Amino acid sequence: MITFDRVSITYPDARRPVLDDVSFEIAEGDLCLVIGATGSGKSTLLGAINGLVPHFTGGRLAGRVLVDGRDTARFRPRDLAEVVGYVGQDPVRGFVTDVVSDEIAYGMEQLGIAPAAMRKRVEETLDLMGIADLRSRPLGELSGGQQQRVAIAAVLAARPEVLVLDEPTSALDPTAAQDVLSAITMLVHEVGLTVVLAEHRLERVMHAADTIAWVRPDGRVDLGRPADVLARSSITPPLAALAHELGWPQVPLSVREARRRVLAEDIRPPLLAEPAPTHTEPVLVASGVEVRYGDVDAVAGVDVQLRPGEVTTLLGRNGCGKSSLLWALQGALTHAGDVVVDGLDPARLPALRARRLVTLVPQTAADLLYAPSVGEECSAADAESGAEPGTTASLLHRLGIHVEPSRDPRDLSEGQRLALVLAIQLSARPPVLLLDEPTRGLDYAAKADLTRIVGELAASGVAVLISTHDVEFAAGVGTRTLLMADGELIAEGTTIDLLTSSIAYAPQLAKVFAPSPVLTASDIAGSVREPIAEVAP
Amino acid sequence: MTSPRARALVERPAGRLSAALVVALVVGATAFGWPLFLRPASGMPSQLAPTVFAVALVLVLAVVLAELSGGRMDSRTLAMLGVLAAVGTVLRPLSAGTAGLELIFFVIILAGRALGPSFGFALGTITMLTSALITSGVGPWLPYQMLCAGFVGLFAGVLPRASGRSEIVLVAAYGVVSAFAYGWLMDFSFWPFALGDGTQLSFDPTAAPLANLHRFVLYNLATSMGWNLGRAVANAVLIALLGPRLLAMFRRSARTVDLAAPGSRAIAAPVE
Amino acid sequence: MVVPERTEALKTLHPLAWWCWAIGLGLAVNGTTNPLLLILVALAMVTVVVLRRSDAPWARSVRAYLVLAVFVIGMRVLFQVAIGARTGTTVLFSLPEVPLPAWAAGIRLGGPVTAEALASTAYDALRLAVMLLCIGAANALASPRQALRSVPAALYEASVAVVVALSVAPQLIESGQRIHRARRLRGDSGRGLRSLGRIALAVLADAIDRSMSLAAGMEARGFGRTRGLNVRGTLPLMIASVLTTTFGGFLMLSTDARWPAMGLMVAGVTGTAIGLRRAGARLAVTHYRPRPWTWRETAVAACGVLAMVVVLGVGGLDPDHLGAAAAAFFDPLALRPSTDPLDWPQLNGWMLSVVLLVLAPVPLTAVRRERVPDASRTDTAVRSPRPRTHPVGVAR
Repeated sequence: MITFDRVSITYPDARRPVLDDVSFEIAEGDLCLVIGATGSGKSTLLGAINGLVPHFTGGRLAGRVLVDGRDTARFRPRDLAEVVGYVGQDPVRGFVTDVVSDEIAYGMEQLGIAPAAMRKRVEETLDLMGIADLRSRPLGELSGGQQQRVAIAAVLAARPEVLVLDEPTSALDPTAAQDVLSAITMLVHEVGLTVVLAEHRLERVMHAADTIAWVRPDGRVDLGRPADVLARSSITPPLAALAHELGWPQVPLSVREARRRVLAEDIRPPLLAEPAPTHTEPVLVASGVEVRYGDVDAVAGVDVQLRPGEVTTLLGRNGCGKSSLLWALQGALTHAGDVVVDGLDPARLPALRARRLVTLVPQTAADLLYAPSVGEECSAADAESGAEPGTTASLLHRLGIHVEPSRDPRDLSEGQRLALVLAIQLSARPPVLLLDEPTRGLDYAAKADLTRIVGELAASGVAVLISTHDVEFAAGVGTRTLLMADGELIAEGTTIDLLTSSIAYAPQLAKVFAPSPVLTASDIAGSVREPIAEVAP
Repeated sequence: MTSPRARALVERPAGRLSAALVVALVVGATAFGWPLFLRPASGMPSQLAPTVFAVALVLVLAVVLAELSGGRMDSRTLAMLGVLAAVGTVLRPLSAGTAGLELIFFVIILAGRALGPSFGFALGTITMLTSALITSGVGPWLPYQMLCAGFVGLFAGVLPRASGRSEIVLVAAYGVVSAFAYGWLMDFSFWPFALGDGTQLSFDPTAAPLANLHRFVLYNLATSMGWNLGRAVANAVLIALLGPRLLAMFRRSARTVDLAAPGSRAIAAPVE
Repeated sequence: MVVPERTEALKTLHPLAWWCWAIGLGLAVNGTTNPLLLILVALAMVTVVVLRRSDAPWARSVRAYLVLAVFVIGMRVLFQVAIGARTGTTVLFSLPEVPLPAWAAGIRLGGPVTAEALASTAYDALRLAVMLLCIGAANALASPRQALRSVPAALYEASVAVVVALSVAPQLIESGQRIHRARRLRGDSGRGLRSLGRIALAVLADAIDRSMSLAAGMEARGFGRTRGLNVRGTLPLMIASVLTTTFGGFLMLSTDARWPAMGLMVAGVTGTAIGLRRAGARLAVTHYRPRPWTWRETAVAACGVLAMVVVLGVGGLDPDHLGAAAAAFFDPLALRPSTDPLDWPQLNGWMLSVVLLVLAPVPLTAVRRERVPDASRTDTAVRSPRPRTHPVGVAR
């Protein structure tokens, strides 16, 4: 169905090609998962299937890309619209109209399909994706998962044979991601589409993939069976880390497979020591925090205590009020209730002083960047924090990012941008750091870096609160966990206790080794394989 | 085998486009300058001249827009046009709040300068239309506003070459000139609308053109000079402050496009 | 597979029908300065709007037009009081007179304010105000979105740009609010010129990125697919038609040859329409659920045209050429009540027919009840337990 024949793609201002002499074939009806580090060329690969690269983006394409026999060099993206359906990274930015049914009909209008046929297809597509009751809703009112399904429906209406999706679940919480992924697998198994999917969070979709294409840093692509490719790739989802740790040649693709193997080899993880309870005074005490938007209660009476040196994670569905709580704690959002940090209320302080008490790195970190170069951002941050000139730049180096000061912040990758914003916010040396969904768009290596950085910060005495819905990341980074739902705090405790006892929020390895409490791959280092005679105390 | 490069957004007006624009200029001159050379011996009252010419202006706008965009604009130009018109639409209600300083023109002028005269004309026209739809400003003055704003964008695109500081000075000066020109043209065509014909400063069909002009100048000084000055100042200040960054952004977007995460253009830079 | 039927309320007529009605009324209103008739027509129009307006947010705009109408009247009266030409004999009151020097064209500020002049200005301003109200009514009744879909094919790309602008504007506002809120996190109070400039630049950069993603999406879905060859000869035709229209307008305003001038204008409009239609053959885009033109649309449009014909026709009658009974019944002079000498305006019987024509669309577009489908959950996807409300400014 899709053939890449010695394809090399070089962008106009780049020194090296993004993809270098790539040849592979994706069979019809396959679900192919494309993995790779951030900025490694996954988007370029997906765009090449559609013809967007090079017709839309510019650049040179050497070699041939054939989709259903058509050569993308001769067919522009619009000519391939009924062969390849392409859904970009942020579906909201791709919406042309503002009502669901109009959006689905838009593609067909462009292709000149008769109105009667359009009506029928719109209804069929709505039913297929399970969004029939959203028919006349405005697009802006939908949730993230619904918007993603509308975006898929919109390209399905042209009845393509191939569906290309660029990180469809990156912004979604686990429930919504599951909806979207089950819709996608239904399309593969029931409708017979060929789906090519790029994802960072592999753990949810690994078991459904027929092939995995790993885009390597040197520009080559390694395509093969999932269990094999994951074993040799540098992208390590939790189950691959488990396989590496236990020395398995093939990576188990699902929790069930891993569990069976663990039980068959009778592997018992070592008992984890309970984290020593800290008795230090909390540096941030919040009681009865309430945030209202009109008549909606976003946060309804939440009490939080953060201790220095402790990393706390805040879990919950999208829309349960995590962001509102964090903004309220920083003092940037009007709220009822008390927040006391080092004896002061950040909401009553001017912004500059509040920043030196509690800093927040928001969801879209790029909102904080405005200068045209990295160097200017750093010097501006130094001025705002009242720190020595050069503090921010050295912080950036310590975080492991080495970029030229003249680069435009908008040109950096997600991970680099996050690190830059982190450096800027940390230059104020606050005792409390709040991170709102920092893992969006980060691959496993970047997440591991972030975990290391947060660990170093905690070791130096900063109290960190991270809100996330990435349980794997939460399992590795924090010692305490808070669970929020519907604006209220419904559970609070150590990460191990909370995550291993919950069904929805258990990381994959916890499910594999249940009921033994295991969170991450490092927890099983030193596991015992043979059965032992006496029971350990 | 190499593939074709993507076209840049900057266009030069084609030959047939210039014919349509010339006609637009002619009709526009008639519609805006009618108090100067309309000698109604009889016929409909001169108060209705703006509405009558509005019909011709609507046709002119339709023709020019059809020639500019019909079958010619590609998706990138169109998307850029729509999004920049959205920016103008958002800025227009804000202008009403900030003491009548018009904030939309600096975007039109800078976009016309960076992306070409035909884009500037289209942006001026569409911005006026969309903002009128949102702020309920649809009326017989709308075709005039659209054409005038279109010309502001158009002439911004044909300014002589310059770069760096001198470019900003040039464009800011154009901003001042165009602000006054816009105000004068709009007032001139709607002068009878505002005053009627019962006052001493009204349009007098029997008087000589110069006398009418004299009256108009007085009327303009008394009423709209404040608005015109405000508009000119706003243009100059905004172009001087935001011009360099905006021009750079427009020109960069006209060259390459990246498909990766919104805002991130990390094409070949792996995580370091 | 059963497709649940929904009966749409007939409030939404084809927008062109409403515009025909409104423009016809506007032209009718132009032919009279009778304040009583004008006020009645205005009230009737407001009634139609209140009963039949669409639900879009800009349908509430009729209040803005009312305010504008009142403002126009007020401004005209003010100018008349300050620098009016002194005609008439009944002096109402006197302002101190200030003669301006010769370079100011010898204008005299102030002076006696006469009832005749005030009345004449008020009638004129009222006519203008009602004309503006006609346009406001059309704006409120005809959904601009639907009107954008009914645009000739040659202007399709322009209409896409407008649709994109209307959809993206609220997203930009939200983005601006988000960035403004984020300013505080960096210690910026958010006020002051500097931070406003930064916010503007950030929003603009975001807008440009957004436009590229949008363009990629449009392109990938087939935009521009059906572009065919250029049709020759359309541009000269359209240019000639436009020039004809302008010339016709010129004639209409400066000479007495009304009907030839009108004929020229109509010819020009038709020529342009034909040219646009042929140019539109370049792009074969179809429309999802196009609004049909039924007898209701024709009837509503005809109301407007009929009103115009009646008023302009009666206004053009010469009372000397009519019989005594006809002159008494029609009384064309009542359409333009004299202000010098000042007379009470008369309201004739036939004028009420005009008001009825204004109100006619109300029964013609009677609202039918919607039939809501009972079982709409035909899917089995996992659903979240409660609907999400996302407050502005809080990221998900």
